[in-house]
Amino acid sequence: MGSGRHRRRQASTAYLFLAPGLLLFAVFRVYPLLEGLQLSFTNARLGRASFQYVGLANYARLLEDSRFHVSLVNTALYTVASTLPILAVPLALALALNRGRLRTLLRSVFFFPFTLSVVTVGLAWLWLLDPVVGPFNYYLKSLGVPVRSWLADPQTAMAAIIVTTVWWVTGYYLVIYLAGLQDIPRDLYEAAALDGAGGWRAFWSITLPLLRPVMLFVVVTHVIGSFQLFGQVFVLTLGGPGDATRTVVQHLYEAAFQNFFQFGAASAMAWVLFAIILVFSVLQFRLLRGHTEY
Amino acid sequence: MSRAQTVVSRRRFLVATAVAAAWPRYGAAQPKATISYWNGLTGADGKVMDEMIDRFTKDTGIRIEQQRIPWPELYAKLQVSVPAGEGPDLALIHTVEVPHFASDGVLEAIDEAMVGGKGFRAEDYLPATWQGGTFQGKRYSLPLDVPQHVLYLNVKVMKEAGLVAADGKPRVPSGRDELISMAKAMTRGESFGFAIGTMNPGRYTWGFHNLLWQNGTNIYAPDLKRATVAEPAALEVAEFFAALPTQHKVAPPANANCRDAFIAGRLGMWIAGSWNFTGLREAKVDFVAAPVPRLFKQPVVWSMPHQYSFPKVKTADRARREAAWSHVRWMTDHVADWTLKAGQVSASRKAHGDPRITGDPVLKTLLAQAPNWQVGQGTPKWVAAENVTRPVIESIYTGQKPAKAAMEDLARQINALPD
Repeated sequence: MGSGRHRRRQASTAYLFLAPGLLLFAVFRVYPLLEGLQLSFTNARLGRASFQYVGLANYARLLEDSRFHVSLVNTALYTVASTLPILAVPLALALALNRGRLRTLLRSVFFFPFTLSVVTVGLAWLWLLDPVVGPFNYYLKSLGVPVRSWLADPQTAMAAIIVTTVWWVTGYYLVIYLAGLQDIPRDLYEAAALDGAGGWRAFWSITLPLLRPVMLFVVVTHVIGSFQLFGQVFVLTLGGPGDATRTVVQHLYEAAFQNFFQFGAASAMAWVLFAIILVFSVLQFRLLRGHTEY
Repeated sequence: MSRAQTVVSRRRFLVATAVAAAWPRYGAAQPKATISYWNGLTGADGKVMDEMIDRFTKDTGIRIEQQRIPWPELYAKLQVSVPAGEGPDLALIHTVEVPHFASDGVLEAIDEAMVGGKGFRAEDYLPATWQGGTFQGKRYSLPLDVPQHVLYLNVKVMKEAGLVAADGKPRVPSGRDELISMAKAMTRGESFGFAIGTMNPGRYTWGFHNLLWQNGTNIYAPDLKRATVAEPAALEVAEFFAALPTQHKVAPPANANCRDAFIAGRLGMWIAGSWNFTGLREAKVDFVAAPVPRLFKQPVVWSMPHQYSFPKVKTADRARREAAWSHVRWMTDHVADWTLKAGQVSASRKAHGDPRITGDPVLKTLLAQAPNWQVGQGTPKWVAAENVTRPVIESIYTGQKPAKAAMEDLARQINALPD
């Protein structure tokens, strides 16, 4: 009886502490989400006082919207193609920077791009990759490598966006990997060394398995971020050439803020995107979940 | 004089005293009013506007809180803020934005009689600019200036290609064939002979519109009910646009920064906005400005007048509205200074005879184009149509899609835009 009351009091105290956060979450996350869901069944347009419920018409229209389909394919392509470098490049750097004299300095150097805004990064790369006056082509040409218009060529535009993104976010994931590496007990490596395991063997049998939760975090957050890709595309290509790099969020943004402020249609797109991200996140958790206690 | 009359007189006296006490406060409040003013003058013209506003405040005592936001964000912000009662007292917008903002109830309609009463008269303005401030017979804005296209000729590049006349000045192409042959003479490696557009020539709808208008066609039919972009005149333009980088190979790639290329001496002839010329002077580029050449049937020049508009407010504040009008009046009276410093010729004819303006070769060229100015069609769908046009013309420019298929797709998209 007494312990039950104590537990209830503890729970009440916990809820009291959680209340401000929950309130903010409800007001700024849950409410807009539900409001968006309601809007997705209407023909609401910003600036017009009245709107009508149109049922599933906005969702049905997405089935016929070829540009939305293109943007879905592009978004999926970006997500798939960027995940491996996002997993591998920061991991390789983290392994290299886990020890060594200049590691603090180098960590700062690699983290620096992440402190820049997406617009700054985009504008810098836009200039670097400019086909006429950009230094990237200039140096390639001086090395005798054939140059091209990287952002205006449908074959290379998405790759250029991926390279830009990897350059930008590597520092962030590097810090996360480093934290994960430092959490791995040293005695596991010492035991493996005593058993005659070399560097590669220790990496495959100790480092990689024990980094699994970190990698799960990296993959899940990157995939969610990839489905929401917008800033880099908006600055670098505006979805072009043609629609070669158009993404779902860009399509949504244009419907909501450029083409008649169609908030109803844009909300339907947002909910489709939300559903896709939810499915992928659940799948990733199921696939990558494992025993990680040590 | 009866007692009653005396009492009434005393009351009158008290009322008159109260009014007199209130009047100086109102009168004093007007010069000291602070108004909010939003614009998208993010380039060099923004600094000039700052100077003009400082002078205006010194002259009138009216303070202006200015918000300078890139144009696309400004328009989104107006659409959101005004219905919420958070809009500015005054906004500078482009002519093509007037119809959709008017249609959505974002802008206050302006009574023509009041406009006349404040000294703004149609005959003082060039017709295309004055008419651009109206939608469905009602006035919503007043023109300030006329950003427009002009042909920039890079003297150094053209001299090297031998494209100068006997007087040493660069030759001006008289038509499409001559333009292409001259551009070919200047194109080699990463240097190009001709471009239309600033940051991304492949997506430059304003340039594409200029070519459409020169060929006597437009985005919509005159009844504004259906798209005409898949019709032969528009297809001819689309094929020319596609041929520039693909067949003739005289134009830079789709996403090239043409302004930087021109400054770096890697672009010979460049059709671009008049807002670029002050920057070219600052960069000390040796250039000449010439009228936009007639590449199709008529020598039309794309223009996009800036318009002063009064966004709707929840609670009318006469003093602030009058202060906003004072600024419009003051700018109109000082528009010659604006033209000289910001490089945008005025919509009002009054400043056109100013010897400081007629003595400037670029401004003189811009003014000479006035009879050929054309603006976008007065439909609320214009801006949305412009947005869907961008990727389509880029797919043509980059050779991703044949012009005919792309323009048919564009017509479908424009016709499907919601009302």
